[in-house]
Amino acid sequence: MDPFLTSRIVTDVLGGLTNGVTYGLVALSLVLIWRSTGILNFAQGAMPMFATYVGFALLSYHFGYWPCVVACVIAAVLIGGLTERLLVRRLYGKPEINPIVVMVGFLIVLEAVAAAIWSSTPRSLPSPFSLIHWQLAGRPFALSPFTVYEIATALVVMLAVAMLFRFTNLGLQLRASALAPEVSRLLGVRVGRLLTLGWMLSTAVGVITTILVSANFFSGLTPTVMDGIFAYGFIAAAIGGLESPVGAVVAGVLLGVVNQFVTDFVNQNAVIIIALAILVVSLMVRPSGVFTKSTQRRV
Amino acid sequence: MKLGTVRPIPIAVGLAFVATVIALVSTSTSREGVALCVALDVAIACGAVLSLPRFKSSHPVVFRAALTLLGLDVALFVTYYFPSSTNFNLSTGAAMSIVLLGLSFLTGASGQISLGNGAFMGVGAFVMAIWANHHTTTPIVITLLIAVACGALVGLLLGLPATRLRGPYLAGMTLAFAVAFTFILATFSSWTGGDSGLQLPTAVTAPRWLDGFFAAGTPPLKTTTLYLTDFTILVAGVAFFFMANLFASRTGRSMRLIRDNDVAAELVGVSLPRTRVVAFIVSSAYAALGGALLTLIDNSVSPPTYSFALSVTILSLIVIGGIGTISGALIGGVIYAFSTNVISWITTQTGLNPQGNLASQLNGIIFGGLLIVTMIFAPFGISGAVRHLWHRLRARSPG
Amino acid sequence: MVTSKTRRVTVTGTAMLLCLGLVTAGSSMVSAGAATAKVPGVTAHQITIGATEPVTGIASSGYNQVAKAANAVFKYVNSHGGVFGRKIRYIIKDDCYGTPGFGCTGVPSTPTQTHALLGIPVFATVGSLGTPTQDSVRALLKSNGVPQLFVASGSRDWNNPHTYPGLFGWQPSYNEESKIFAKYIKATFPGANVCFLGQGDDFGQDGLAGLVAGGIKPLSADLYSVDDLVATNGTSIAPYVADFQTKKCTVVVLDSIPGATDAALGAALALGYAPQWVISSVGSDPQTVDAPFVGKVPTDPEIGAITFSYLPTTTTSSAWIPWITKVIEADPADFPGFTSTSVLNGNIAYGAAYGVSFVEALKATGKNLTRASFLKTLQSVTFSQTPSLVPLRYSSSDHQGLNSGYLTTVISDSATKPLTGIVYTADSSTDGRVTVAKTLSHGIPSWLK
Repeated sequence: MDPFLTSRIVTDVLGGLTNGVTYGLVALSLVLIWRSTGILNFAQGAMPMFATYVGFALLSYHFGYWPCVVACVIAAVLIGGLTERLLVRRLYGKPEINPIVVMVGFLIVLEAVAAAIWSSTPRSLPSPFSLIHWQLAGRPFALSPFTVYEIATALVVMLAVAMLFRFTNLGLQLRASALAPEVSRLLGVRVGRLLTLGWMLSTAVGVITTILVSANFFSGLTPTVMDGIFAYGFIAAAIGGLESPVGAVVAGVLLGVVNQFVTDFVNQNAVIIIALAILVVSLMVRPSGVFTKSTQRRV
Repeated sequence: MKLGTVRPIPIAVGLAFVATVIALVSTSTSREGVALCVALDVAIACGAVLSLPRFKSSHPVVFRAALTLLGLDVALFVTYYFPSSTNFNLSTGAAMSIVLLGLSFLTGASGQISLGNGAFMGVGAFVMAIWANHHTTTPIVITLLIAVACGALVGLLLGLPATRLRGPYLAGMTLAFAVAFTFILATFSSWTGGDSGLQLPTAVTAPRWLDGFFAAGTPPLKTTTLYLTDFTILVAGVAFFFMANLFASRTGRSMRLIRDNDVAAELVGVSLPRTRVVAFIVSSAYAALGGALLTLIDNSVSPPTYSFALSVTILSLIVIGGIGTISGALIGGVIYAFSTNVISWITTQTGLNPQGNLASQLNGIIFGGLLIVTMIFAPFGISGAVRHLWHRLRARSPG
Repeated sequence: MVTSKTRRVTVTGTAMLLCLGLVTAGSSMVSAGAATAKVPGVTAHQITIGATEPVTGIASSGYNQVAKAANAVFKYVNSHGGVFGRKIRYIIKDDCYGTPGFGCTGVPSTPTQTHALLGIPVFATVGSLGTPTQDSVRALLKSNGVPQLFVASGSRDWNNPHTYPGLFGWQPSYNEESKIFAKYIKATFPGANVCFLGQGDDFGQDGLAGLVAGGIKPLSADLYSVDDLVATNGTSIAPYVADFQTKKCTVVVLDSIPGATDAALGAALALGYAPQWVISSVGSDPQTVDAPFVGKVPTDPEIGAITFSYLPTTTTSSAWIPWITKVIEADPADFPGFTSTSVLNGNIAYGAAYGVSFVEALKATGKNLTRASFLKTLQSVTFSQTPSLVPLRYSSSDHQGLNSGYLTTVISDSATKPLTGIVYTADSSTDGRVTVAKTLSHGIPSWLK
């Protein structure tokens, strides 16, 4: 059993899974915002990053890890809500390019302000579980207590979001507000409030991702920590289809595994090139994403 | 005083005569005098042509040519007197304005989003350096054209799949290309010089005849920078001229139709995929030209310059300048050229520690903030805002 | 429709252009007659020098202290009257290590910043950092006759006096450092499996060449790309380390910047891999490297690693250590919070050392300072009272700079100590010959104390 578990294939699959769930979470947040407000949020990595800095600033006041996590989530909810209220509100109904540009500007500002306040020197975050991989019969195993925690947390979050949308009244209202805002308003749904809630939820999911990602030995939390993951999450969302949360998550996980295999069997440069190739091919075959129920524009 | 009956041509001739006399009398070298005369006379001639009644609508191409010529004339004139660091900034601004022109055309004229123009710039930049290193005898202009052709080719390759994609998916594909570009460069590191990049085999130097314009002992920095700056501005002028004509042509009109209502466009008989691809090719060719010029100016090219962040900068500049306009590209180029000077001025005025965290991030804060504010309050950029203001003023004072 | 108003505007505009022409033509007459500057960047009371440094961005953590430390030395000298009555003004421009990205939005390229320095003008560039960045401006500086001094990089590119007579390195080259490593590894770990990970530019390539010239044949030699490192937040290094572990390498040589060193150490830690690390001086400073591990692991993973130093470590009794500490403490603008009990780190020591080198070279040139006289002095004088372990010496055929140092071992998260204390000398030729240094530097010049 041990040789199998530490074999190259299994190591790559598990390593890929670890990265893949983070791509899946980012893709999920992107889909949440797209479905609820029709906006492509380029600051999807930067907003949670800022919230993480704010939450973990409490560390210097000797708060522990878990209280800081709670503080991060609160900060994320606040940032998400304020962004929707103050910034995004003005973008509804405008041409496609407007929200993209505004969110890119927001991304730049957030990263610059974070670096101005906290500097770009990497900040070490404590981790509740050991980062050291288990050893099986003298060979390293692909997972450590922390990565198991990472994968488990990601799955729990995805499940929670799914259950929220499917089984709760709130979820129904969120879906209705996104699909048919006018009708929902007529039915008494507070559409504006729900849109804000959508952003809050998405940023909260994002902050969990950032906290998980920043607790590594290599560099930890920096203003640009989420940039690479955002790119892959975005690609995953585009492949899976911006309309489908399930598609986004599946695409993200698969992309993570594929990337790991490419890194191992080809080389590092090839990873993004192959991801680009997969994206182009999938968009050629299904221009609105693999998992989107195809909606023809009939004229 | 009523000037309604004034005839421009005789006035122009008179002014030219006076200007020539004054220039000959007041300049230090004879070459400088001749150049000054030529500059002033060309300016006056263009001004006269432009002021002819109803000229713009009867001879639009000549009108645009005269306008371009006037602009080039003024630019060449003032760069002669500017210090070399200002000229250097202007040259990078001019190269960037060409890139912005391409993106302005793509987004504004045909409604497609591209987050990958930084990568197209990189294509041009590297082709320029690679070709120059392997074929040292090719004249610069030919190498530039080769770089442009390569950029167009890559634009075609990317434009073909792009025709079927809508907004966010197109953004995603171009983003992936922009992110992948530096890694593509790394894959071919034996050609692209790896992390270190490439240098041009011989530094560009000013030709001999230019030295005659300056007093003896002028440092080569001044003449070389002037030569490069003027060359870049000339190329930019040609690029702007072509773009202005393209905007107004049938192709330009079909693109605007697609942007506004692609269903109607198809009904009218415009071929959607073909027009979209043409827009992509034009935009990437322009970006490649800008990148190749940048290599010439810097005398070197390095991979990290052509990252995704550059594509974001390009998009931001054209948004602030004014999407879909030619003047927007010009404004964006100027901003690019002088933004660091403005930022350092702000830093000294506010007394910030120039080595501190806040000062070093001021660039990003102001830039990103400007982007947000522009898009929300003035979505047509500075160019659009000025145009809006001009119309409001004209509406108030008739005739 | 062109109205009379438009015509009016056009004629007025043309007339204004005329006036502009007159004014500028007149002023050019005046400025053409103005006396040309004597020596660019030098007046009776001031010398202006410049440098491009990674103030922001991936390389900034740690490296942004280097130029500041040199600046602290210049401020100290200025407070004692300067050199022959001239105070030194050091202008630092940010080029983000030539890797503009989101962390440094809008930061200009190295050529642009160098042009800006040339426009000031500066007497010379001193201590500009980075190999690709400085390679890209060599031709520009040369064609304008501006000396490019003490480039903060160990590439051999700076040792090219024939083509670039004004270009000078300062620190020992990566090649020389690796040869000294090779000698040590061969003697201490004979027959061991050695693996190499280096940066994908001169740094890694020259370093690997030095190792090989010194007689080491790495089982696995990989080069990482800085772009990858930045884009993946460090995780791109892990696969190389995993590969070394699979190949059972007991000695791993790293020619990496601190960010990559961290990534390698972290990856090894996670995999339970503990080879003997041999790390280049460029990326081994304990304070910088240990920062991400603080609070996550009981012991600093760098402890026990072998590295190289050409400056005295803080554990030795060199008089320069307290001197540098005093100078840094006297500059709270650049180093807020630095007190007499703060420990120097490698970046500060480096910056202060080349600052001292520049000041000593100015002093040796004399009051009559021109670029030519300065360069002549630099190539003929041996500076034997410098912070470096051996005297600093250039010649008309050798512009590399220092070429000697000793091996040190990391003993804590802030300090290293010499392994044997023997200072070795290597050269940049193709053979791996390493000799013991004959002369060492001694003391602080009295006029600097």
